[in-house]
Amino acid sequence: MKAEDKILISSSTKNLKSVRDFIEQKATQYGLEQSIVNQVVMSVDEACTNIIKYTHKYDDSESIEILLKKENKILKITITYRGNEFDPNTIEVPDMKTYLKQHKVGGLGIPLIKMFMNKIELKHYQPDLNELTLIKYT
Amino acid sequence: MEDFKIYEKTDGNIRILNIEGYLDAHTSVELEKAFERLISEKKYNILVNFRKLSYISSAGLGVFMAYIESIRNNGGDIRLCEMSDKIFNIFDMLGFPVLFEIEREQGSAITKFRSFLNKSES
Repeated sequence: MKAEDKILISSSTKNLKSVRDFIEQKATQYGLEQSIVNQVVMSVDEACTNIIKYTHKYDDSESIEILLKKENKILKITITYRGNEFDPNTIEVPDMKTYLKQHKVGGLGIPLIKMFMNKIELKHYQPDLNELTLIKYT
Repeated sequence: MEDFKIYEKTDGNIRILNIEGYLDAHTSVELEKAFERLISEKKYNILVNFRKLSYISSAGLGVFMAYIESIRNNGGDIRLCEMSDKIFNIFDMLGFPVLFEIEREQGSAITKFRSFLNKSES
């Protein structure tokens, strides 16, 4: 079975709730179990938060498109946005014992995505178009 | 629309923050403001009740990390209670229970908090 859904938002943290609601509703419709739905919702939230904060620097004239595709047992979420190329795969998951001991703040968004999703792919098209795909084997 | 709210209560020398709604990159600034204000009022014994919190992202987690050190340096603590399994799983997966006291019930959280404060005073 194939399914496909899309949402377009302006690049603002005030739209994160709409993104989460959309992902939750569609992933549930696709028949994913609740624990997987929660992981996917959080991963997309973290990815969009990073784009809004670091790539678009809170400029809400920018936009983010999120496309969900479910085919057989694979869920792919492709997030399309303009801005500098940044591949989350270059960020390592920190050693949490050290992280907590040193009272570090921030930097947990990408590690959470890596813990929850099976694969992250970034495609960059010149001059400034990015397609970030989060893949979950369900 | 569900948003984020903080209801504050005083129980003896403990401030209880009942947080409601969702804690993400948009709303976490409200919790930061609450911690800033408590620190300025020298209220360092803080218990956060998660019973009505439906969601937390890393931005929300970051707020607890940002204030724990200064609160503890002032002899207080930020303690957490009544998390749903969904939210506890996030804290647990990241190893937060090593740094934060997390209790199931508010009653036992207050009892343990008081005993910790009594010990630090003596």
